[in-house]
Amino acid sequence: MQILIVDDEPAIVGALQPVLASQGYTLSCVATAFEALGHVAAAETDLVLLDLGLPDADGIEIISKLKAISGATIIVLSARHQEAVKVRALDEGADDYINKPFGIDELLARLRAADRRRQQAAGNLTDSFRSETLEVDFGRREVRLQGQQIKLSPKEFALLEALCRNAGCVVTQRQLLIAGWSDPNADSQYLRSYIALLRQKLEYDPSEPELVITEPGVGYRLAVSGEHSD
Amino acid sequence: MKISRPMHLDDEHAEHAEYQVNAAWLSWLGDTAILVAATMGTIVTLNVERPRTAVLIYLIGVMFVGARSGLYRGVLAALIASFVYNFFLSEPVFRLGVTSLDELVPLFAFNVSAIVSGGLAGRLKDSARAARAAEAKNYLLLQLSDQLQRAINADDVASIARTALTPSAIEEIQIYPWGDDEQAGIAVPPGPATGTSRRPAFQDFALTGSRGRLGTVRFMLHKQDRDRGDEPDLKAVANLLALALDRSMLLEQLSDTLAAQRSEELKSALLSSVSHDLRTPLTAIEAAATSLRSLRDTLTPRQTDEMLATISEQCAKLNRYTASLLDMGRIQAGIPNSQFTNVDLVEILGVALATIRKRFPDQEIRKDVSPVFAVMQANAAMLEQVIFNLLENAIVHGGAGRPILVRLTLNKASCFLEISDNGPGIPGTEQARVFDRFYRGRKPVQREGSGLGLYIAKGFVEAFGGTIEIQSPVIEKIGTNVTVTLPLVQKVTGMAEIADADIDS
Repeated sequence: MQILIVDDEPAIVGALQPVLASQGYTLSCVATAFEALGHVAAAETDLVLLDLGLPDADGIEIISKLKAISGATIIVLSARHQEAVKVRALDEGADDYINKPFGIDELLARLRAADRRRQQAAGNLTDSFRSETLEVDFGRREVRLQGQQIKLSPKEFALLEALCRNAGCVVTQRQLLIAGWSDPNADSQYLRSYIALLRQKLEYDPSEPELVITEPGVGYRLAVSGEHSD
Repeated sequence: MKISRPMHLDDEHAEHAEYQVNAAWLSWLGDTAILVAATMGTIVTLNVERPRTAVLIYLIGVMFVGARSGLYRGVLAALIASFVYNFFLSEPVFRLGVTSLDELVPLFAFNVSAIVSGGLAGRLKDSARAARAAEAKNYLLLQLSDQLQRAINADDVASIARTALTPSAIEEIQIYPWGDDEQAGIAVPPGPATGTSRRPAFQDFALTGSRGRLGTVRFMLHKQDRDRGDEPDLKAVANLLALALDRSMLLEQLSDTLAAQRSEELKSALLSSVSHDLRTPLTAIEAAATSLRSLRDTLTPRQTDEMLATISEQCAKLNRYTASLLDMGRIQAGIPNSQFTNVDLVEILGVALATIRKRFPDQEIRKDVSPVFAVMQANAAMLEQVIFNLLENAIVHGGAGRPILVRLTLNKASCFLEISDNGPGIPGTEQARVFDRFYRGRKPVQREGSGLGLYIAKGFVEAFGGTIEIQSPVIEKIGTNVTVTLPLVQKVTGMAEIADADIDS
């Protein structure tokens, strides 16, 4: 996978480069938004790790431009407590975010999730999702939890499908409202209620979910077994 | 010092201008009446052939007028009386002058005694009045200086002077600070008093303090009634004002200096605390990293692991600490509620519990959380931070190995999140201070923290319109219970309604 890191901090780039190379990723680094756009236009890029605080532009502003030029997955590097910024970046077309500072395990998990999703998208829409505990058949609308069939209402299934198709990646409230109600401005309490119903059917302890994870202020994420860590 | 006011001054000050005009008329009328009465008495006594008594009665009248109305009126009354006596009463009637030497002596004696006694009585009256006016002026100055003691700034000085002096002949007082006076068109230093009539409409005086010129005071004088005689000594008043202004400015400077000094002390305390808290984990990281580099070959795999774990832990600590500093900054800057959205506390509690379990995998946490939703207006990440900080606090200070309890209950308007531990509790004297910035307990484990956790929790909870309370000990001298109360959003779509809608669709 071809990865482009857009960050003007040499220390971060220096730390990431050997690790990602050792994992078999091919790495390029640029420090400005201008260079990033030029690189994506010139060379094949599968994934962009984008820092939002760039010297020549607001990182959010180049997300849609990057998306227009290439189909690369975009993961935003952001700071804690900037939920509004994360939501804006995701709504602009970013695929996921990761909080700075991050552990390398967390970054690698995100990269794997993004890679999986990219391959799914390349091979057209897949018709099923499978993890260690969960199996979802999108065509037959069947859900199995540890082999046991679970009955879901149409709305519950629509939400679970949206989460499964982005497994390991964050899905914003807005995206889920569109998936469930075809209306991004629907009452967010509907969403909370259906997530609660879904958790009651899927989670061992719904008050401390391990499958449908809340990303406070942003949205939800379907944990991929053994990989999710915060 | 309390100054009691002489009684008669109250009456005199109460006089209104219009009333004063009437009083002048009445005084003239009274004097005329006295003189007429004396004349009548004289005529009557002359008719009963008692000329000496007649003269004495007339003299008494003149003296009365003098005593009542002062020197000029006394002399005037004496002149009128001697003319009337000479012309109408003494022989030859209807003629001035005398027919014989015998009549000249009494007439001369009468005239002289009338003028002298009227004048004397009048002068006595005048000096009594002058004494009273002087007393009034002194009283005014004394009262002013007494009240000016209370003035702590320039505005106070002006308003006190206005209150104390405007009942007198002064209509208004303007104090122009140094610099403003020139702009206001006042001659610096003030020139001779100006005005159109006999007395000027206003007078300016320079105000000079211990370190030079302070400004100018302008006394506006009443336009009418300029002779009321209770006008204070303006020069003395200006001196008093200058003294008070000088003192108030010194006071202000002193308090400014003290405040600056205190803020400077606070800043350096903050900086030394912050740099200490940053340096401690950095020292550990530096030590571990350099050991790994230079002693790589002699370290056992277990030692290497321990050092790597130290680096990782200390990085996490640094991360939490810088995040806390940022949160502190947000609280001090003020958190706008415009960014708040509907947030479910039950959901956020789940997130905080997951994070805390990762950090303290062996800690037992008992839950008593029955509500399915607790929706409120808040910022989700900040609410998560509040719960995390309280849980962390309970675990760290609650005594190793002892379980903590999380309890969530609702009523119609509020939700109550209680987090309790079974630790040694917080002494009553410390309870009020645990929410203070950088407050840490005395024990080593307490010194470990940043001293910001509870401060941030309180700041965020209050931004959400809630309260946070601490209770310790909970039972039998152990345990601490922290209760967060937050207002619920009313009119949240119920679960049942939503489920119905789904089946319909």
